[in-house]
Amino acid sequence: GTGSVMLATQASAQSASSIVVQGNRRVDADTIRGYFRGDRLDAVTIDEGVKGLFATGLFEDVRVSQQGGRLVVTVVENLVINRVAFEGNKKIKDDVLAGEVQSKSRGPLSRAVVQSDTQRILEVYRRSGRYDVRVEPKTIDLPNGRVDLVFEVTEGTKTAVRRIEFVGNKAYGSWKLKDVMNTTESNWLSWIKNSDVYDPDRLNADQELLRRFYLQHGYADFRILSAVADLDRQKNEFNITITLDEGQQYKFGTVEVQSNIRDVESDSLRRVLRTRQGDTYNADLVEKTIEDLTIEVSKKGYAFAQVRPRGDRDAQTQQISVTYVIEEGPRVYIERINVRGNTRTRDYVVRREFDIFEGDAYNRVMVDRAERRLRNLGYFKTVKITNEPGSAPDRVILNVEVEDQPTGEFSVAGGYSTAEGFIGEVAVAERNFLGRGHYVRLAGSWGEYSKSAEFNFTDPYFMGYRIAAGFDLFYKQTEPSSSTSASYSNNMVGGTIRFGLPLQDNLSLLLRYSLYQQEIEIGNPEYRDCAPQGNVPFPDCQENGEASQAFKQIAGDPQMVSLVGYTLAYNTLDSNKQPTKGLYAELKQDFAGIGGDVNFVRTTGDVRWYHDLGSDIVGLLRAQGGYVTGWGDQEFRIMDGFFMGPNLVRGFKSAGIGPRDMDSNNQDALGGSMYWGTTAEVQFPVPWMPKDFGLRGALFADAGSLWDYQGEVYNGMEVEDGNVIRSSVGAGVIWSSPFGPIRIDYAVALSKADYDKTQAFRFSGGTRF
Amino acid sequence: CALFEKKPEQLAPDEPADRLYNEGLTLVAKKEYKDASKKFEEIDRQHPYSEWARKALLMTAYVKYEAGEYEESITAAKRYVTLHPGSPDAAYALYLVGASYFDQIADITRDQARTERAIQALDEVVRKYPDSEYAESARRKITIARDQLAGKEMSIGRYYQEKRNYIGAINRFKTVVVQYQTTRQVEEALMRLVECYMAMGITQEAQTAAAVLGHNFPDSPWYKDAYKLLQTGGLEPREDKSSWISRAFKKLGLG
Amino acid sequence: CFTQTLQRGYVMPENALEQVPIGSTQEQVLIVLGTPSTVATLNGEVFYYISQTAKQSAAFLQPKIVDQRVLAVYFDPKSRRVQRVANYGMQDGKVFDFISRTTTAGGEELSFLRQILSGNKSS
Repeated sequence: GTGSVMLATQASAQSASSIVVQGNRRVDADTIRGYFRGDRLDAVTIDEGVKGLFATGLFEDVRVSQQGGRLVVTVVENLVINRVAFEGNKKIKDDVLAGEVQSKSRGPLSRAVVQSDTQRILEVYRRSGRYDVRVEPKTIDLPNGRVDLVFEVTEGTKTAVRRIEFVGNKAYGSWKLKDVMNTTESNWLSWIKNSDVYDPDRLNADQELLRRFYLQHGYADFRILSAVADLDRQKNEFNITITLDEGQQYKFGTVEVQSNIRDVESDSLRRVLRTRQGDTYNADLVEKTIEDLTIEVSKKGYAFAQVRPRGDRDAQTQQISVTYVIEEGPRVYIERINVRGNTRTRDYVVRREFDIFEGDAYNRVMVDRAERRLRNLGYFKTVKITNEPGSAPDRVILNVEVEDQPTGEFSVAGGYSTAEGFIGEVAVAERNFLGRGHYVRLAGSWGEYSKSAEFNFTDPYFMGYRIAAGFDLFYKQTEPSSSTSASYSNNMVGGTIRFGLPLQDNLSLLLRYSLYQQEIEIGNPEYRDCAPQGNVPFPDCQENGEASQAFKQIAGDPQMVSLVGYTLAYNTLDSNKQPTKGLYAELKQDFAGIGGDVNFVRTTGDVRWYHDLGSDIVGLLRAQGGYVTGWGDQEFRIMDGFFMGPNLVRGFKSAGIGPRDMDSNNQDALGGSMYWGTTAEVQFPVPWMPKDFGLRGALFADAGSLWDYQGEVYNGMEVEDGNVIRSSVGAGVIWSSPFGPIRIDYAVALSKADYDKTQAFRFSGGTRF
Repeated sequence: CALFEKKPEQLAPDEPADRLYNEGLTLVAKKEYKDASKKFEEIDRQHPYSEWARKALLMTAYVKYEAGEYEESITAAKRYVTLHPGSPDAAYALYLVGASYFDQIADITRDQARTERAIQALDEVVRKYPDSEYAESARRKITIARDQLAGKEMSIGRYYQEKRNYIGAINRFKTVVVQYQTTRQVEEALMRLVECYMAMGITQEAQTAAAVLGHNFPDSPWYKDAYKLLQTGGLEPREDKSSWISRAFKKLGLG
Repeated sequence: CFTQTLQRGYVMPENALEQVPIGSTQEQVLIVLGTPSTVATLNGEVFYYISQTAKQSAAFLQPKIVDQRVLAVYFDPKSRRVQRVANYGMQDGKVFDFISRTTTAGGEELSFLRQILSGNKSS
C-alpha cells in the first residue's frame, strides 16, 4: 500500500515535540519523530519525513494527519523476518541464492521485496541455463509479529541447445563456424560440459568471435544479419539460427606508411610492417602492425606519436590498400598511477610491470603492454586499467584495478607411461609468495622405477632487475627396470642456482651453477628370490644385478659433480602449451670440472619450427644434436653420456638406441657421446569429432643416431657401437581429455642397428586434480 | 492472492529478556563471544520491542568486533545507527564501524581501501558527536590511519626515487608534505625532496626544503641527514655502509 | 646491439624556448610548454620541466640515465611574469647514495600462515 499524505490545508507552525506517533511496535517513537526534523512543520518537511520513513523499508504504511493542532503519524510496521530458507534447490546452493535475495533475517518482510526476490532467483537459474523453473515464496507465522520466509523451488530439467544452423555461409562450412563459437550443440558429452547450455551473453560473445574470424580471413564486409534462438517448449531445448552476409574476400592492396612527423622517415619503418601487398586481408595483423609501429616510433623519442590506419576498399579489384598515418598525438602526461584492489600482491610487484613512470608521456600501447604483462603474471583474477582526467588538461591518472586470486596450488597427479611405468606426484606451490611475486614449489614423486623430491624458489625481479634468480634442491633415485633396460640404480642429490636474463623480447639467456652428488648402485637392494617355491622365475629377475662391467666398475663410489652452464633460447612461439606457429631454438652448454671429481663439456642444440598449414593443421620440423667430451686428464663418466630412445626417434624403447654391452644380462645401454635427430610431423584435428572433444591426430617421420661410446671396455664386455641411422614413421593421437592430457604413439622402425631395442607402442597420460 | 499461504507454526519457548541479556554479559566477560552473540540474537528474535532488543543489537556489534568478525560487526553497528539514530549509544555504534575497518588496515604496500573507510567512519564520529568519550580515541585512530596513507605515498615515492624517476618521486613526496603535514612521514618526505633536488642539481629547491624541515623539526634525524647532505654539497656518499649482500637479502625478503 | 633508448618525462617541443621570452605571463608559458613536471615546493613561483633520456643495454638491466635536462622558469612573485630561465644539465646533478632508513608505518604484515588461512578470502 502506498502512503497517503493528508496535508494540512494551512501549514501551521508546529514544534517537533508535539508529534504523536501511533501504531509503532518495534521502532521507538522518537526515531520516527527524528524523521520530521526542521523548525517549521510545513508540507515539505512532512513529505520528506514520510519519504524517509518509507526508505527505511521498515513500514508497510505511513499516514500523517492533523488532530487538534498536533501532527499525528500512524504507521503500520512490516512483519520482521525471522529466517530465510530455500527448499528444492539442488543445482544452485543455498548461499548463492541467499546472496541474490534482498529479504534478510531480522529485516522487514515487504511484499514488493519478496516479489523481486522471486524474479532474482528465476534470473539466477536462467543464467545457468534452466528455463522451466518455478519459485513459490511461503511464510510461516511466528508469535509477536515474526515470520519465517521460505522459497520453494522446483528446478525442472536443463534447457540445452539442440542444433545451431547457419544461413548464408558460403566460404566456410557450418562445422568450421561452430568450431569458432563457444556455444556448442548438446551431444553425448553433455553430462560433463555446460557449453551446450543456452546463455544469451555467450551467444552475443560468439557473434563477436565469428566477426573477428571472418575479419582475420579477408572478409572485410562481413555482417551478421540475425542470431535467433527459439525455444521448443515441449522438448525444452533451443534451436539457434544465425544468418550471415559474408561479402567478398579482400586482399591487401598497396601498404604505405605516411609519417606526418618531420624527421621520422616512413621507409625506415617498413621492416616493421606485418601486412604485405597481395596477402589476404587480416584485421588482426593491422592491429599488431599499429602496435609495433607505435613502439618503433616512440623508441625514436616521439612518445606522443599516434598511428591511425586508413583503409580504402576497392570492391572491383577486391583489394584494400592500407596507409598507416603517423601523426603527433595530444601531448598528455601521466600524473599518477594508482594501484587498487591488491589485497595480497605488493604495490611494487604491480608497478614494476610498467615501462612508463609517473611524469612520462601517456602512450596507449605501453599501457596495453603493461596490462598484458599483469595478466600473464597469473596473480590476478581480473586486471583493468582505466584513465581518469588529471589535475590539468594535459594530465591523466591511470587507475589499475586488480583483483587478487588464490595463487596457491596443491596438486596430486597420477600417470602411466611405458617409459616410467606408474608414477604419482604430490606438489604444493605458491606463485605469489607473501604477495612479493616470488615462486615457491615443493614436490615429491614416486613410481615403479623412480623416486624424487624437489624444492624450487624463484624471484622474477632479483635486486630490482628483471632477472629471474632462483635455486632448486633435488633428490632423484632411479631403480633398475626392465623397461629402461638398465640394471643399476642411479641416485642424485644436489642443488642448482640459476639466473634467467631476458636479452630481448624473445631472446633470453639462463645462467646456472649446479652441485650434486651422483652414485651408481648395483644389485637390487631387497634380495628377491627369483623362483619362489621353485616355480618359474618371474621375468627380468636380477638376483645379484647382472649389470654391465662398465657400471660395476664405478658402482658404490659417489662422485661430486660441480658444473656451470648456460642456455640461450630464442622463442617466438604463439603459445608454449599448444604452439601453432613460430620458432623455438635452444643452445645448452654445461662445463663440469670446476671443483668436483668429474670433468666434461656437454653441448646440446634443439630447433623446432611450427608452421600453420591452415584450418587448424600444424606442421612441425625439428632438428636436435649433442656432443659430450671429457677434458683435462679425465674421460667423461658413463652416466654423463647421452642415453637416447623415443625422445630421439620414436619406435624405440627408452635408452633403446645407441652403444650397448651385448654381454651383460640385460644388454645395458652404455650411452654415446654424439647424437643427432630430425623430425617432420603434422598435427591435425580429427575431422568428424566435435571440437570440444579435444582430439588431435598426428603423422610423423623421425630419423637420428647416437654413437661413439668413449668409456673403458673392460674384459667381459662386448660393445656394439656405430653411427647407424635409425629412422621410423608413425601416427599418434593427442587427447586433452577431461581427465588430463593423454598421448598414444605407434611407430614402426624402418632402419635400426641390430642391437637396438624397439618398442612400437608408446603411451603417456596423466591426470591432475 | 495465492502469494502468501500459511504453513504450520513452530513455537519457540519464551525466556525473559533481561535474563538472556545478563547471561550474554557473563559470557562476554568470559570472552566466549560466539555463545554471547547467540544470546543477544535470541533477545532480538524473541523480544523485538523491548529496550533490551536495542541494547542487545549494540552488544552484538561489540561482541562481533571483539571476536574479530569485522564485517558482521559493521553490519550490526550500521543497523543500530539506522534504527536508533537519536539514542546516546549511536556514537559508540558509529565508532565500532570505524574501529572495525581500522583493525583490518593492511601494511602500506597493499590496498588501503579499508584505511580510507576507517577514516570516513571515524570522521563522522568526531563530526557528529564531538564531545562524546569516543571522539578522542577516534581522533587518535584517524591520525594513525592518515599516517598509513602517507606511508603508502612515501613507499611509492621511494620506488620512483630509486629508479631515478625524479618527477614521480618529487610529486609523491610533495603530496605528503601538502596533504599529510600532521603525520610523522612529513619529516622524511622533506628530506627525500632535498635528496631528489640535490641529485638533479637544483640546490636552491633543496635548500628551501631543508630549511622547512629544520624550522619545523630541528632535532629530527632526517634534518641531520639533510643538513649533512647540503654541507658536503653531496660530494662524498654518506650511505650507511651495509654490505651489498645484506641489501640483497633484504630485497629477497629473507633478511 | 640490444640497446634501446627510452624517452622519460617531459618532451620539449622544438623551438619552444623562443616563444617564452622574459616577461611573458604564466598563462602563455602554460599554453606553449604545457603543465610543468613540478612546481617549487614553497610558493609555486617556479616551473620545472624535467626530461631524461635513458639507455637500456639489455632487457634485464635497469635503464641508465644518460642525459637529464631540467628547464626552470622563474616568475616574478608580484607580476607573475617570467623573470629568469635556467637550464640544469646532467653535470649539475650530485652523485650520492640515498639514505636506506625509512619511517616505520603500521598495518599488519602479510604472514605466510595468514596467506594460507585467508585462502581466497583476501585478508
